[in-house]
Amino acid sequence: MSLSEKNSVVFAYESSVHSTNVLLGLNGQRKQDILCDVTILVEDQRFRAHRAVLAACSSYFLSRIGQLDADLIITLPEEVTLKGFGPLLEFAYTAKLILNKDNVSEVCKCAEFLGVHNIEESCFQFLKFKFLDCKSGQPECPRRQCCSSRCQKTDDKINQVDEGDLGDGGEEDVQTPDSQLHKDGENAKVSSPAFQDTSQTCDPACLEKSNVSDLPSLCPKYRKFQKAFGSDRVQTTELSSSITEVQVMSAASIHESKSFDNNATQKAQECEIMQLAAKYEEAQVEMEEGEEEAAKEEEMKSDLVSQSVSYPVEKMDAAAFPQHSSVAPHGLHPVPFLHVYEQYDDLNFSGIQNSTVIAEKAVAGTGVGYDKPIENKNSDLLLKSDLCSTESMNIRTTSDRSSVEREVAEHLAKGFWSNVYSTETACQMHLSPATAKEYSESIYSGKKTECPWLGIRISDSPEPSPQRTFTTLNSVNCPFISTLNTEGCSNSSEISSGDYIQGQQAEQCPFTCEISLGEESETDTEGESESCSAKEQECEVKLPFNAQRIISLSRNDFQSFLKMHKLTPEQLDCIHDIRRRSKNRIAAQRCRKRKLDCIQNLESEIEKLQNEKENLLKERDRILSTLGETKQNLTGLCQQVCYMFDSPTLRWQHTTADCHRCSQV
Amino acid sequence: METDTQGPFVLSNLAEVVERVLSFLPTKALLRAACVCRLWRECARRILRTQQSVAWVSALEPGPSDTHSLVRTLAEELEKVHVLPQTVLYIADAETFSGHEDCHGQKKARKRNSKETAISLEKLLPKRCQVLGLVTPGIVATPMGSRGNRPQEIEDGEAGFALLFPKIDGVKIHTFHLFKDLKNKVFDESKFAEAGLKNNPDLRVVLLFGYNSWRTGATRFLHQVINPLNEKSIILAGGHVENFTSLTSENGNNQPGDSCGVVGLAFSGPQIQSATVLLDQDVVDERTAEAAMQRLKAANIPEHNTIGFMFACVGRGYQHYKTKRNLEADAFRKFFPSIPLFGFFGHGEIGCDRIVTGNFILRECNDVKDNLLHGYTTVMTLIHLGSAKPNQV
Repeated sequence: MSLSEKNSVVFAYESSVHSTNVLLGLNGQRKQDILCDVTILVEDQRFRAHRAVLAACSSYFLSRIGQLDADLIITLPEEVTLKGFGPLLEFAYTAKLILNKDNVSEVCKCAEFLGVHNIEESCFQFLKFKFLDCKSGQPECPRRQCCSSRCQKTDDKINQVDEGDLGDGGEEDVQTPDSQLHKDGENAKVSSPAFQDTSQTCDPACLEKSNVSDLPSLCPKYRKFQKAFGSDRVQTTELSSSITEVQVMSAASIHESKSFDNNATQKAQECEIMQLAAKYEEAQVEMEEGEEEAAKEEEMKSDLVSQSVSYPVEKMDAAAFPQHSSVAPHGLHPVPFLHVYEQYDDLNFSGIQNSTVIAEKAVAGTGVGYDKPIENKNSDLLLKSDLCSTESMNIRTTSDRSSVEREVAEHLAKGFWSNVYSTETACQMHLSPATAKEYSESIYSGKKTECPWLGIRISDSPEPSPQRTFTTLNSVNCPFISTLNTEGCSNSSEISSGDYIQGQQAEQCPFTCEISLGEESETDTEGESESCSAKEQECEVKLPFNAQRIISLSRNDFQSFLKMHKLTPEQLDCIHDIRRRSKNRIAAQRCRKRKLDCIQNLESEIEKLQNEKENLLKERDRILSTLGETKQNLTGLCQQVCYMFDSPTLRWQHTTADCHRCSQV
Repeated sequence: METDTQGPFVLSNLAEVVERVLSFLPTKALLRAACVCRLWRECARRILRTQQSVAWVSALEPGPSDTHSLVRTLAEELEKVHVLPQTVLYIADAETFSGHEDCHGQKKARKRNSKETAISLEKLLPKRCQVLGLVTPGIVATPMGSRGNRPQEIEDGEAGFALLFPKIDGVKIHTFHLFKDLKNKVFDESKFAEAGLKNNPDLRVVLLFGYNSWRTGATRFLHQVINPLNEKSIILAGGHVENFTSLTSENGNNQPGDSCGVVGLAFSGPQIQSATVLLDQDVVDERTAEAAMQRLKAANIPEHNTIGFMFACVGRGYQHYKTKRNLEADAFRKFFPSIPLFGFFGHGEIGCDRIVTGNFILRECNDVKDNLLHGYTTVMTLIHLGSAKPNQV
């Protein structure tokens, strides 16, 4: 190679980062507004930029800037939107396009209009399909999530409240924290109405207690309420309308029911429930005080009404609950109830002395059976309730009709009370009205219908003699509630089966309603969790073959098997569901087994190692003992030698020599 | 007499003729023919260089023999393929690959069985070939023959496939294995460099297969592996498999350990284009599945010399789609009539919506660290291995 050729060799240096850095520099200039020579107006917003950059990036700007070289302001036509242009300008300077669901279509349009280079159509297409997909998918999924999460939340909160309650009130066995479980859920539903009532009776008496116990009683209501909301709008409107009716009728408690109404429309958040409960408490406190100070009829009335309002509230829950059944009859419930309450409080004042005595008697009557199982009580109370059943029926029907017939009802009721009075004069035991009421409650939750009247009466009647009820309540209250509730739990199955069907007025009784509805709600909330298995089983029953077979078949066999049997789509679904579940189960089992195996292996290894360690320790001990022995021997030997050679220097030498010898040996 | 002398003359002197003739031979026969003489060897070498498209062997029916049907099919088909495999990815269904495991006592036997099957598969393949073998609960594979065959989802039953990647110009495929070192709690970044996943600007696609992901700490480990890779513009796709059965790579042999880990294939090369979509839990019917496929189609990846991967959850498949079987695979076929589809049903998926081509990258950029680990989803990935002329239809 000649010298000239050597000189002409050319090297090329290429930087891979130069282009990026230039762009970065330009972007920095733009941000600091250095050397920017053009202003772009998009929808009244100004963007500063470099003409060169824009022209290089977009064919539109190239032509535009070419035309108007002196113009420093470019107003873009209205095809270009702010949403679309912003990201594109960013792209021109950073080579990065930020796209989201909102702007993708506009950016696409603008990019097309402006003729921006280096943006491929395919990415817009890709994103459009993605967001389109999302949109179509959305209406279903978020709602579902939302619903489930809300339910979950309330459930959790209820559980929290329950737990807190357990601590305070001592009602341990009642509201099991895992009320989501369906069995327990059923129990809880049954027990909670009873609980509500107990708490109600507690309210006038011991406020702190009731404060605690009232919360859980309210919470389930709202949960049901929410469920009702989730599934049935019509129901809720019906409900709220009935609530407003209640409002109109109970002037004293307008405040609360309003807030209740609000809650209803706002889908009743849990905190609001608390507030409501608190308000309720306050209102009641006031009422109580008012009563204590002056036992005037008006105040009494208002108080009673306020109490009765809380009752319809529960009824409303019951009404809200039957999502499957017709709306109207349940929606009507609160109203007649209110009527009846008014009647009763009329009644109470007309025969105040009567009622106080009656209260005691009724209490005593129920108290007799306190130690005995409910059957006793039932019979006991049923006697009375049988006596009055027809009358109370009348009351109900009349109150349903109009207030004109109220007086008739009053008469009937009076007759009824006196009946009770006469039958119970013998009883003398003193129990708190609360307990009596609870009992009647549990009984009537077991035995439907007319008992509520009795219970309510009792709860109302102590008002003329507040002091005594206070004292007794405090002592008796808590243990009783627990027993009551456990009874309520144990009774739940019977309630739902036999008595419910027996009871002719079952439809009218909100509590039996609630019980039956509790069952309905189970099917209603299905599809969420374990409840599916129930459905599955139900479906299975209808299938001509058992699940075991479905699971055990291989895939091909399964297919042919399905073809063999003519099955409805639901059944098919169910079968596939079963199969999938079982497969999942098997997979999970396998996984578990693997884990267990692993653990087992490790355990055996540990055992092995421990054994080894033990052996080694033994060995060490042995060696140590032999060492001691040899040392002893050695010292003995030394001494012997010392005797033999008396010279100390020699002794030393010999001992060391001995030692050496020993060690060598 | 004349023809007798003419024939040998032509076949031992005219390279064009010899090349033409030899080009009809499948690769194994071609290699045997290469031993004949120098001319033939040269011709064979040239032909081999042109064979750059991916071939595959799939066994979708249970075979009569006691070995796995994939072993038998691979042995038969390797004689016929027009490709010299350099990297092989085979996936077989776990149940038949390793025999049934019903009770604890048989577990040992089962392991041996799967090992034996794996070894017999590896023996069929050339010595210097990188092999990555996986066993999964279910298989998705396209039957052999045309690229446009209808892919089949086989959720249970004996099945398997082997993808044979030849040496492709401009594309480097290598296997890697990262596993959780029980001694070192901290994940060593240098392992990435060792695996060729770091300082590799051409790295485009990484197929990740996690195993033993049920172990504690597996998720954390996976995040440690995935997050550094996710920083870059790399398509990540894959899933969790039951286990991997064979892995031979340039870095030596690796054995599956007891701890969790990741095996995978890394595709690097500037010409690779790839796109991936995630079919999440909301994709429950034909319409939504097709919408997802449309999305993938919109990525505008060239169709020739492209393979599709589908990594689905065991929970999906025909039961997920209201007993419509093969729905996802069919949707794929509808939009991509000539791309073979392979994949598996696994225990969890790795993937996202992303496009990486030579010109641009489209990826989600959230403030939150986007999670690539999913469950109950399907990941569909297209990998275009460059625009080399396919020599096999």
